[in-house]
Amino acid sequence: MAPARTIAEQLASKQREISVAEFFERNRQILGFDNPQRALLTTVKEAVDNSLDAAEEAGVLPELMVEIAKDADSPDRLRVAVTDNGPGILRREVPNVFARLLYGSRFHSNRQARGQQGIGISAAVLYAALTTARPARITTKVEEEDAAHVLELLIDTQKNAPRVTREDVLIWDRPHGTRIELALKAKYIRGRQSPLEYLRGTAIVNPHARIVLVEPDGTRVTFERAANEMPRIPKETPPHPYGLELGELGYFLKASKRPTVYELLTRDFEGVSARAAKDVLARSGLSPGVTPGSIQGPTQEALLEALHSVPLVAPSSECLSPIGPMLIKRGLRNVLGDVRPEFFAPPVSRPPKVRGGFPFLVEVGLVYGGGLPADQPMQLLRFANRVPLLFQQGACAITAAASNLDWRRYGLEQKGGNGLPVGPVLVLVHVASTKIPFTSEAKEALAEDPDLDKELTLAFQAAARHLKVHISRRSRRSFAQEKFEIIQKILPRLAEKTSHLVDQPIPDLTPVITRIMDVVSLELQLTSEEGPRRAVLEVTNYTSRPRVLEIFLETPTEILGASAFAPVPEGTDVGMGRAWWTLPKLGPNERAQIVLTLSKGTDVEASDLDWYVAGVDEAHLLGADPLPGDWDVRLPRALIEAAETAVPADPDSVEGEVDYDAAESEAHVGDDDG
Amino acid sequence: MPRRAKRTSATTTDEPKIRADALRPTLDLAQQIYGQLSLGEIPRMRLPLRTKQNIAFQMREGVWRLGKAMGTRSARKLDGALMLLRTFYLVDFINEMARDNKTSTLRELYYISEGWQEGKFHSEDESNLLVEDLEVLCERLREDFRLHPEENGASVIGDLTIRERNRKGLVKKINCRDDVGDGGYALPSNVEKEKIEFVSSGAKFIVAIECGGMVDRLAENGFDERHRALLIHLKGQPARSTRRFLKRLNEELHLPVVVFTDGDPWSFRIFASVAYGAIKTAHISQYLATPSAEFLGVTASDIENYELPSDRLTDQDVRALQAELTDPRFSTADWRSEIDLMLKNGKKAEQQSLAKYGLNYVTDHYLPEKLTEMGVL
Repeated sequence: MAPARTIAEQLASKQREISVAEFFERNRQILGFDNPQRALLTTVKEAVDNSLDAAEEAGVLPELMVEIAKDADSPDRLRVAVTDNGPGILRREVPNVFARLLYGSRFHSNRQARGQQGIGISAAVLYAALTTARPARITTKVEEEDAAHVLELLIDTQKNAPRVTREDVLIWDRPHGTRIELALKAKYIRGRQSPLEYLRGTAIVNPHARIVLVEPDGTRVTFERAANEMPRIPKETPPHPYGLELGELGYFLKASKRPTVYELLTRDFEGVSARAAKDVLARSGLSPGVTPGSIQGPTQEALLEALHSVPLVAPSSECLSPIGPMLIKRGLRNVLGDVRPEFFAPPVSRPPKVRGGFPFLVEVGLVYGGGLPADQPMQLLRFANRVPLLFQQGACAITAAASNLDWRRYGLEQKGGNGLPVGPVLVLVHVASTKIPFTSEAKEALAEDPDLDKELTLAFQAAARHLKVHISRRSRRSFAQEKFEIIQKILPRLAEKTSHLVDQPIPDLTPVITRIMDVVSLELQLTSEEGPRRAVLEVTNYTSRPRVLEIFLETPTEILGASAFAPVPEGTDVGMGRAWWTLPKLGPNERAQIVLTLSKGTDVEASDLDWYVAGVDEAHLLGADPLPGDWDVRLPRALIEAAETAVPADPDSVEGEVDYDAAESEAHVGDDDG
Repeated sequence: MPRRAKRTSATTTDEPKIRADALRPTLDLAQQIYGQLSLGEIPRMRLPLRTKQNIAFQMREGVWRLGKAMGTRSARKLDGALMLLRTFYLVDFINEMARDNKTSTLRELYYISEGWQEGKFHSEDESNLLVEDLEVLCERLREDFRLHPEENGASVIGDLTIRERNRKGLVKKINCRDDVGDGGYALPSNVEKEKIEFVSSGAKFIVAIECGGMVDRLAENGFDERHRALLIHLKGQPARSTRRFLKRLNEELHLPVVVFTDGDPWSFRIFASVAYGAIKTAHISQYLATPSAEFLGVTASDIENYELPSDRLTDQDVRALQAELTDPRFSTADWRSEIDLMLKNGKKAEQQSLAKYGLNYVTDHYLPEKLTEMGVL
């Protein structure tokens, strides 16, 4: 056996420093370059994130062009070019920004941003060089200069240093901006986890950006800008001690140029008042005049413990940039236009909360129906700091929170009350934070956390409540459609057929119709051919008894002011935007109309007109809501009438007996043939 | 091997003919709905439920028939209203056929409904179910309504001589072994006495077989002649005519019936429809089911005992077995243990998997062994 020392020496001879670049070269999967599809997506993502951040910082509405083209040299290569209208990058910074890992302006800043570590784009450059041995080509122009710089860059993986292989100057036809071009081993796909899906997600949460994608086959997909307001630029705030870890504190102490620890605490941290600073120092046994650099070892630990135990002002949320309900809705509408969803729930933007020392907030948008697939699980669009998360859905805290909610209570199907519900529903979730709790460096999924989970759940519930109202209205509508189909199409034919068979005259169907319908129905029709726009409300008494009905309209005052009514309302309250009528007594199957004519130039949608009815209870009312209690209208007769409209006992009720056509038919399967 | 208790069949039920008053009940139905409409009532009909929860064993006939539970078909609901409307399109159609002295296949009926507007059927299953509903409501058979299935020709091979009256009215004497080709004698859709008369038979028993390949194997190996067996191909789930033919042979010629199928959950249902009566046709079980028929195999224990090549049960298979556990027809201890065993082993096998031991194995070993055990041989 060899002496131990020799072995140690042998081992020592093999030990050498591994450069960061070299490390990443061997661990591509950590950064999302593990296969050709993934590598393409990651490259596009990193370039796009940088471009959006840059444009926003410069206060410019982003305008992005992503071109993916086949490479003439090899079928497994693609060329990717991303061009933006950002402020451009100074010549001297270009090599470091694109070809040096862990170089960035945001790593030490405490505010919400898309990229943080400064690994992303250089990793793409590195990957491109590793797979094609070709340099990245950067074209960039700042507004102050006349010409653009063109640089070709490689990364020296030993030294983690950029190498400029070619350089040129170019007259560029734009005032400012940056273009990166890479040739890499990659594969273009569509569908899930594709560049197109990523850009669609990006467009939804960045409605202020215009994004064009050119696919390898030449197809051009444009996501138009849907909003001209820039998102609020998050304010940079100093770090808050609640989120601080020992190593970071050590770094701050060592790097600080403040003369005393007291000044460091009060000036370079958020939430530490003079009194709190004194308290902290007293608890950690430090004198306020000590220089930060001299605090080491156990004293550092004592200081951190004191910082975590003394009550401090909570972190501010000014460093966050929520998308906001209005823009979430606009973004969803813009991108999902072709799906024609029937319902957009009012988006939910929760107030900021703090976890660890970092503020965060949750936003949720929900879309239902239309062309969304009804037999599939809910589509979940996850975003962290406005960046779409396309991978690891199953491992994400967002998915967990959505799965743990009992969506059945809100009208969706969900097996056993957990797991993603099934239905034509798409939910957008945006988590904004200065520090997103990712499960791993690949930044694909959020780690579970009780504070985050609580906010997610509250946001889901708020959106789901709107969905519930919509679904219940919708099912009432479809229930009504079914009944109309019966009385308008099927019943007359059934009467005709049976009368013919027994050779008798067709009987009057009114009593049957009112029995089947058993509702007062309000139907609104809008017309505008040639001339003023008209809205006609038709009220039909499909119940088996005569009724005196009172109809109430609530509408924006400008519409009420521009309307002429026939018949003339019994009363109006222009200030409140209200008008009301008492209709003449309607017998079974009788109807009456209210016609509203708008003066020229006024537009009206069905959703501008809210109709309420008194004289019939909710269960027997279709197309309107019963008069809410907060309408301060004294209508004793209507209220009495409504109260006495108890549901009459139906002589031919089928209660208690099985509906033959709904009885189980499982026994028929494979049981018998012909 | 689960052994089914032999049930004695007491009566031969009368067979139906197109009766002069066959269509009277259909017009009574129209009168009933017309009356409701005139009185301002929501049109509705009551029908016995044809579900597995609503079948009951009839001691006298030894078969499972419809129970007493009723359901309502009402125009209050869209589905019910549609079915009511279709019912009277159908009634109108069959009365028209009666006037013109025509008949129609079930498939033609499905296409006829193209002209029924809202009442159009979406599938042939829908039209077949409605015809069955009408059979139940009117206590008639579909033949009374001039509706019949396509000739699907389940085949018979063996020493049976029959006299068939063909379409042209000619009567032919046919021996199902000597006068037919390799395909055997093809059963017409009408197998009643006025169409087919039994003349004589040298057979001692009947083997009703699920798959055509197995019928061919037995015929090629001369099983029918060696053991004086009559082979009847069930063609999967047997049609009404096949079941009716089996019942007539069983009752009139006193031939015992054994059923030889694959070993899977669906085969159990084939046997049940032969021996106990199918749920869909529970209203006419007394006329279709052969209560003394016995299940030969392939049983779950055969798969183990004969070490047959098998497949894993699919999720669908497992659900089918579980459904059978709540089917009253399978509520005997024998069936329960058979179903439980199949669930436990998780295996199913085709009858032709017996070919593992060679082409003669089924006729030289398997069938003789099983039939001896059952007391047929």
